[in-house]
Amino acid sequence: MTEGTATIRTRKFMSNRLLNRKQMVVDVIHPGQASIAKTVIREKLAKMYKAPADTIFVFGFKTAFGGGKTTGFGLIYDTLDFAKKFEPKYRLARHGLYERPKTTRKQRKERKNRMKKVRGTKKTKVGAAAAKK
Amino acid sequence: MVQAGEDAEAVCQQDLPQALKLLFEMNESADKVSSLVDSMLSQVKRGELATEEGLSFLEVKYHTLLSYLINLSHVVLRKVSGASIYNEPCIDRLVELRTVLERLRPIDKRLKYQIDKLVKTAVTGESSDASSFRANPDNMVSKLDEDADVNEDEDAATEKKSVYVPPKLAPVRYDWDESAASRQEKLLERAKRRALSSAMVRELREEFLDAPTELGSRVDSGAGPSGPSKEDRERQEYEETYFTRLPETKDKRKKRKLPTIGSLANELTNFESDFRVLEGEVMPTKKRKSSKKPTGKKGKKGFKKRKSR
Repeated sequence: MTEGTATIRTRKFMSNRLLNRKQMVVDVIHPGQASIAKTVIREKLAKMYKAPADTIFVFGFKTAFGGGKTTGFGLIYDTLDFAKKFEPKYRLARHGLYERPKTTRKQRKERKNRMKKVRGTKKTKVGAAAAKK
Repeated sequence: MVQAGEDAEAVCQQDLPQALKLLFEMNESADKVSSLVDSMLSQVKRGELATEEGLSFLEVKYHTLLSYLINLSHVVLRKVSGASIYNEPCIDRLVELRTVLERLRPIDKRLKYQIDKLVKTAVTGESSDASSFRANPDNMVSKLDEDADVNEDEDAATEKKSVYVPPKLAPVRYDWDESAASRQEKLLERAKRRALSSAMVRELREEFLDAPTELGSRVDSGAGPSGPSKEDRERQEYEETYFTRLPETKDKRKKRKLPTIGSLANELTNFESDFRVLEGEVMPTKKRKSSKKPTGKKGKKGFKKRKSR
C-alpha cells in the first residue's frame, strides 16, 4: 500500500480546558486518491502536535464532491484517562478501549420481565440461571 | 475712468435721500415691533391671553419650517459671501429644527386621513355634521367570499378552544413611506442583479470575455456562481462550531441525484423572468415555488420567512 502524498491542515484550533483536550477541524488534501484512513490521520496528527496517538480521536470525515479534499474533526486528550472519561462509548469502541455487552436487546428485555415476577434477592438468581435458556 | 467715477457719484447723490428715508423707516418699524412684543409679553404674564392650549400641531409645523428656511438662507448667505460657518449657532438651530421635523412626520402621517377629510368638506361644502368623520365599518367587510365567511363561523363555534400560538415570523424590513414607483424601481434593480448572475449570462460571459474559466467543482457546497449558498455556509459554520454532522435533508438528497429532463427543462427555457429584464422589456414577476407547499411548515430553526410584498 503506497502511502501517497496527503497534506493535513488544521483549522479552528481551540484548547478546551473544561474537557482537558484540544479540538480542531482537520482538513485532509489528497488529490487523485481515495480518502485517507483515520489511523493514518491520527499518526500524522500525533507527529504534528507531539501527542501519543492513542489520545487522538478523529471522526466525522466528509469528502467534498469531486474528491481531493476531506474535512473532519479531531480531538487530542491530555491523558488516556481523560479520554476514557469524556469520549462517547462508540468512539472508544473504535479504538478498542471499550467492549459493548454482547447481550442483545431482546435478551435484556426478557431478563427484565423474568425479574419482574420475583421479589427481593431472588431477582439475581433468576437473571443468572434462567438466562441460560 | 474719471467719468465713471463721476457717474457713480451722481447716482449716489440721487439715491442718498431715498436710502436715508428707508433707513429711518426701518428704525421706526423696529421700534414699533419691539414695543408690540413687549406689550404682548406683559399681557401673557398678566394672564390676559389664553395660552393653555399652546400651539396647535399644524402651527408648530409651519413655524419650524419657516425658521428652518430662515436659518438655511442665513447659512447660504454666509457661504456665498465667503465667510466660514464653523461654530455658527445657526447650524445648531438647523439641527434642532430638523429633529423636530423628523419627529413631527409620523404624527403627520397618522393625522393625514383626518386632515384630508376636513379639507375635503371645507372645499366641497358637504355635510358638516361631526358624525360623518367616524370610521365606516361597512368598508372593512369584504364584498367577495360571503359564503366562506358563513361556513367559517359555524366551524369556529364547534371547534375546541386551544392555546393561541403566535406565528413565528422572521422580521422583515418595513419601508415607512415608499411610493409605488420607488418599489418598482427596487424590484427591477433586484431582478437585474439576479439576471446578471443567471446561467445564460454566465455562459455568454465565458464565451466572449477573456477571463479564465472557473470550474465549479463542488456541488454540495460552493454550487452557485458566488460560492456556497447562504444555507450551505450556515450549515458548515454550525457543524464546525459544534463538532457534529447534521443529517442530509431530503432536498440535498434529491439534488445529489443527477438532473433529469424534467428539471433541466425549466432551467433551459427560463428566458423571460431572468434574461429579458436586463433590456427593460419585461417587468419582474414574482416566482411562486409550487414545490414549497408540502414542506412549508418549518425551516431548520423553526422560523418561517414571510416574503415582503
